[in-house]
Amino acid sequence: MIARITPPAWTRWVLPGIAAAILLGYPLVFGTVYTNIFIHFAIFAVFAASLNMLVSYTGLLSFGHALFFGGGAYATALALENIPGMGLFPAIFTGGLAGAAFALIVSPLLNRVRDTAFALLTLALGQLAYMACIKLRDITHGEDGVGGFPIPDLSIPGVVSVSMVPAQNFYYLAIVILGICLLLMWFLTKTPFGSIMIGIRDNPQRVDFLGFNIPLTKCLIFTLSGFFAGIAGSVYALFNNLVTPDGVFHIMTSFTPIMMVYVGGIGTFAGPIAGSGLMTIIEEIATRYTTQLVLFNGILLVLVVMFFRTGFVGLYLLLKQKLFEKESSR
Amino acid sequence: MTGILETRDLCHDFNGLKVLTHIQFSVQPGERHAIIGPNGAGKTTFFNLVTGVYTPASGRILFKDVDVTKAKPYRLTRMGLGRSFQITSIFQRQTPFQNIRLAILSKNRIRFNLFVRVDRMNAINEQTNEILQEIQLADEAHLPTSTLSYGKQRSLDLGMALATAPDLLLFDEPTAGMSRDESHSAVELIRKLTEGKTMVIVEHDMDVVFSLADRITVLHRGEILATGTPYEIQENDAVKKAYLGESEV
Repeated sequence: MIARITPPAWTRWVLPGIAAAILLGYPLVFGTVYTNIFIHFAIFAVFAASLNMLVSYTGLLSFGHALFFGGGAYATALALENIPGMGLFPAIFTGGLAGAAFALIVSPLLNRVRDTAFALLTLALGQLAYMACIKLRDITHGEDGVGGFPIPDLSIPGVVSVSMVPAQNFYYLAIVILGICLLLMWFLTKTPFGSIMIGIRDNPQRVDFLGFNIPLTKCLIFTLSGFFAGIAGSVYALFNNLVTPDGVFHIMTSFTPIMMVYVGGIGTFAGPIAGSGLMTIIEEIATRYTTQLVLFNGILLVLVVMFFRTGFVGLYLLLKQKLFEKESSR
Repeated sequence: MTGILETRDLCHDFNGLKVLTHIQFSVQPGERHAIIGPNGAGKTTFFNLVTGVYTPASGRILFKDVDVTKAKPYRLTRMGLGRSFQITSIFQRQTPFQNIRLAILSKNRIRFNLFVRVDRMNAINEQTNEILQEIQLADEAHLPTSTLSYGKQRSLDLGMALATAPDLLLFDEPTAGMSRDESHSAVELIRKLTEGKTMVIVEHDMDVVFSLADRITVLHRGEILATGTPYEIQENDAVKKAYLGESEV
């Protein structure tokens, strides 16, 4: 094999550096409206990436991921409403824990089924959560949802205290938390545990015969996925200062990340992030000039399923290969 | 004297259709045991019972003197049982290196490690490369597995069974679907890899059986017809009549 020319070590930091600079400067340049759009994108990028842990890495299609997202959102909202003096980070962590707890509770059920039955069971569980949220009026305030709860300041006692109400301040909190979530999920795919996940996707029988306890492994995958979905839901609750059954437990909340995974590119880590970006942009444009958002989303999904099975990331890789690597590949 | 693997009165049926009746089977440590028999004799069912795919209708299975009648496959693997499959069971979308590495992770009891990058675990990767050398796939280690020839994919299947360092190896028709040449080199590979190890092999090809096994068990219609050395089996009248006599010898 020909030795590759390795660029100097500092070049590794050029792209992340540029990305960090853009992220830092973004709210200063683009103002409140676009800052909010970006936060929305980041929340759904993490939500879709948490679903992607199941869809792309473990081979399980969940139609009820809103259960964990909504669980996290409600946990944070209710904690802030009912517990005086609840801190910002404990509130977010509570959301993550709630998502993880819901996932842990349903995992013995989910472990019993695969394929279509798995998809339908998750759908049923998601709908169950939606109905329970509406009916449990004493806790969740039914269809009115939980709103107007206090948003705690980001404070290190005696040092600094920053209000999280202005969009720009909240932006920095959101991208740091969500960025850490994405990094953790990415890292997870590189660990031995990530290899086992991919093994379960490709050939569960062999994984069993290699000596791995599949039900227990899946249980941990569900719990981790639920945790990250819960964090996304929690940031959503803080961002909107309102959670309703229709907002976080509705079946569309489960479908949106599925679309993002498919549009962005199934089987890749970047897919759901790209999908979230693309769909956020389409939503913005479509709702600004027309009233037909659902039509545009529908057309997009049909196009992806019929012509670009590998989604946006697949298309990008294909173009890159066609445009830049033609000579070297021959 | 108890064997490493024993079955006592093992019976199984599929919805009333009797597949195995009262199987008394025993493998001694260090033995190379072949199970032969015509199609439908119950060989693969026997393997599936022993490896925990099915739970037997009645009877007991002992592995290393532990009752494993209801044990799941992953438990048996952890106890030291390795299996290859009649239909190649590997991870087609990954490289042979990644295939073997998963087995090596299991051997090292790394199951819930979320904190280290797997490609930085040098000891794991070294052990993986050693196995790839042994099964002669070092050159193809980083190609997509689906592009390998059938024979090489079969080797990978064997390699995964071996990589968990089992005390007992079960091979389900390791040469199934191979050409004469491929089959010949596969037998050589198995002979080399299982040097000094305990092995049970299910096989159709009589050349393979007589060249690999020290003891042979003949299954016929779900019952054990005879057990003995290759010579005894060749000379056994009941076996000749039921099985060998019909085709060759």
